[in-house]
Amino acid sequence: MNHASETARRPSVLHIFKIYYPDLFGGTLTVIRDICASLKDSFASAVLTCSQSAKRHEVINDVEVERVHSYGNLLSLPAAPTYPWRLWRKIADHDLLALHAPFPLADLVFAFGLGRKRPLVVHWHADIVTHAGLRWLIEPLMRRTLQHAKAIIVSDRVLVDHTPLLREFEDKCHVVPFGIDTTVYDWPKIEPHHVNDRGRLVLACGRLVPYKGFDVLIRAAVNRKFEVWIIGEGVERPRLEQLIRELGVGDRVRLLGSVNDCERIKLMCLADVFVMPSVTNAETFGLVQLEAMAAGRPVVNTALDTAVPRVARHGMEAITVLPGDAEMLGEAIDTLIRDPERRRRMGLSARTRAVTRYSATAFKEGMETVYRDAVAMPRKEEVATAAEEPHPPGWLDSVRIAAALAWSDMRHRYVRSLLGPFWMSLQMAIVVAVLGSVIGQMSNAGVLARLPMLALSMTAWTFLNSVVLDSTTALQGSASLIRDRALPPVIFLLQCTFRNALFALHNACVPLVLWLILTPQHHASRALEAVPGLLLFVACTLALSLVLGAMATRYRDLKPIIESSLMLAFLSSPVIWSSDMINHRSTVMRLNPLTHLFAVWREPLVGGHVDTISIVYVLVALALLSVASALTLMHLRKAAFWI
Amino acid sequence: MVSISLRNVCLDYPLYGAYDYSLKRRLLGHLIREQGEMRIIRAVDNVSIEAAAGARIGLAGPNGSGKSTLLRLIAGVYPPSSGNVAIKGNIVPLLGLNAGVNLDFVAEDNIALLLRISGRKPSRAVIDEIWAFTELEERMQRLPLRMFSSGMLMRVLFATATAFPADILLLDEWLSVVDEHFAEKAQRRLLNLVSQAAIVIIASHDQPLLRRTCTRIINLDHGRIASTAVVEPTSTPPIELREKRA
Repeated sequence: MNHASETARRPSVLHIFKIYYPDLFGGTLTVIRDICASLKDSFASAVLTCSQSAKRHEVINDVEVERVHSYGNLLSLPAAPTYPWRLWRKIADHDLLALHAPFPLADLVFAFGLGRKRPLVVHWHADIVTHAGLRWLIEPLMRRTLQHAKAIIVSDRVLVDHTPLLREFEDKCHVVPFGIDTTVYDWPKIEPHHVNDRGRLVLACGRLVPYKGFDVLIRAAVNRKFEVWIIGEGVERPRLEQLIRELGVGDRVRLLGSVNDCERIKLMCLADVFVMPSVTNAETFGLVQLEAMAAGRPVVNTALDTAVPRVARHGMEAITVLPGDAEMLGEAIDTLIRDPERRRRMGLSARTRAVTRYSATAFKEGMETVYRDAVAMPRKEEVATAAEEPHPPGWLDSVRIAAALAWSDMRHRYVRSLLGPFWMSLQMAIVVAVLGSVIGQMSNAGVLARLPMLALSMTAWTFLNSVVLDSTTALQGSASLIRDRALPPVIFLLQCTFRNALFALHNACVPLVLWLILTPQHHASRALEAVPGLLLFVACTLALSLVLGAMATRYRDLKPIIESSLMLAFLSSPVIWSSDMINHRSTVMRLNPLTHLFAVWREPLVGGHVDTISIVYVLVALALLSVASALTLMHLRKAAFWI
Repeated sequence: MVSISLRNVCLDYPLYGAYDYSLKRRLLGHLIREQGEMRIIRAVDNVSIEAAAGARIGLAGPNGSGKSTLLRLIAGVYPPSSGNVAIKGNIVPLLGLNAGVNLDFVAEDNIALLLRISGRKPSRAVIDEIWAFTELEERMQRLPLRMFSSGMLMRVLFATATAFPADILLLDEWLSVVDEHFAEKAQRRLLNLVSQAAIVIIASHDQPLLRRTCTRIINLDHGRIASTAVVEPTSTPPIELREKRA
């Protein structure tokens, strides 16, 4: 087949979006499909999407579609945990990436710096409106994506003006208005004055989701004479059906469900008025109103801060009403229904505007230019950014400075003191001796054999405890270095771990000496087996200190809570006692993450095997903490405001 | 190439009151629907500055007009709320000299630590050179800074901070040293540092000083650029160098 040679010739574009045909119909999907179809000659398109259906690979209209399994929708996002991974694997196969935003699952991939080698074009379809409460979490990710993008495509200038995030990247934004193939609306023969038998058919079209505002349209139909047909399917259907029943408008309002393209065009040409009652800025353009315009229909739309009232303009092609105002909407529809002449005039100008301003050719050319530039441009710019990057103090610099500070902290202990940090070791030895004798009273097992482990556990606990406690005040203590020397705040949180690691090394001589004296035969290999567990322990401590350190700086009342929690954790964890001393495997103990955090390195040391549950528990905890630390690091620049 | 480019930069500075630091109150506020209004002031408002190598920019304006905040924003301490900040070149912010000093350490160690903080390797030669500039006795190097008088301390800190040239130098007020004899020397060194840096930004109340050292003076008012004045280069070299802190 010549398929292989063809893909070699045309650059390939990977479209990244959450859904695709035939799972659902909608404006954004139509746009993606149109792009794929119209750029067929110059670009080979592929789509990576999510789906709940089992079928994974298929080819729809020459477009290769791969679906990643999703377990359903969570906060308007498909729950497809493997999507980021699949995306990352696929990036290398394509010459250009086209992300259809908003889609945070893909932002996750770009935010971690993956896929930098391929040019990225972002189609900005809408801002996050429905779950605006999660903005703080998503926005940094989106910003990273946009930083990486070569170009951002929006359907109208107004989107750039009204979206703060886009304004930051103004120079990357390209306005390419959507276009549609108006010729298909020539059928059946358009008679703008056409009036169906009852002369009052109002049409609306879109997925049945809250932001489309179909409930407003249904309310608007109360006590009016016109008939409302709504094309589309979606989760709101039961609610809308109930609303229709309650209002008693069932004889005039119909939900038609999904309708094929041909049928839809026919309905568009048949209707008297087209209504787009969308209520939030999630509706950025309203492709369906453009279709209705192409069919020569007058439009009633809403005054959103998006392109909606600019595509069909108030008084020219449309009547624009306030979003969510059922009374005004009904009145506007009635005005048009009562006035056939006005309907005809508006329909004509709508048709003219659709044909001249929003043609498929212009859309295709605009897209092609942006795509071509993005594919051609990258190399040069990449070199420039690579040369720029080392300037802000890199990670290595931060770690180096933190280490230098920690080292100087340790030396501080030696100043004006004979033993330096060994005072603490001495204190540790005394604590171990006292505790050991107390425990000896409680249990009958050999006290002396337990002592080295007790000392080691105490050392590890002291490390964790002081790292977390120090980190809660670290940023405030270094306020002047952060504000006057512009050092990144993360340095001072790292410093806590480094400093206490140095102290822990001092303390470690207590268990080491006890071990050498009290243990008859020394298994050095066991110590090696404990190393991975110890590393996990240290990694968890570090992550914990980053998260809690930042939180406690922002919220000062956390510090006492953290202090008392640490005390409680100390008492409820097998630090000074071991699990076999008390009621075997109590629930509290099994749920306590610290139990497992200690088990992963203590078990190998006493020659036992680490429970798989413990390992899984610790790894999950570490993964969660890592995500939390990553989020913290993103927000840590704001720490300068908090101190 | 060294350059600074601020485009429509805004900085909303959150002012945290005693209650704003409380997580409990914030959570409770959510429960009882009390909208705790966070006080935010716009410390930098729609500021655009372009500076290429050779620029000497003075920031003038009354107290609280956003001079220091703008300097910190350029230094990367505060993230801008909106707008674009692009900076090429390494920045040395000399906003406060006391940062990072540990009075219990001997002078030598302090110098070494301060150098490390600014990303330099403290070699013996560098420390000796800095010490030579302070004109203090050799043996004092091994004394803890706690035993230094404030004037002596100032000498050490000044010498350390100005030891290395910078691409971009940010000064909050002209650094001044009170000690009569040392002041002249310090002035010379600072002028030298300024002349070596590609870009210098100085925030000061002292108009004559700004007019002498800068090519452009930006007047700030409530975080906005009220006016920008270009200073004609004067043929006469600066005669009186000594400045006192305003």
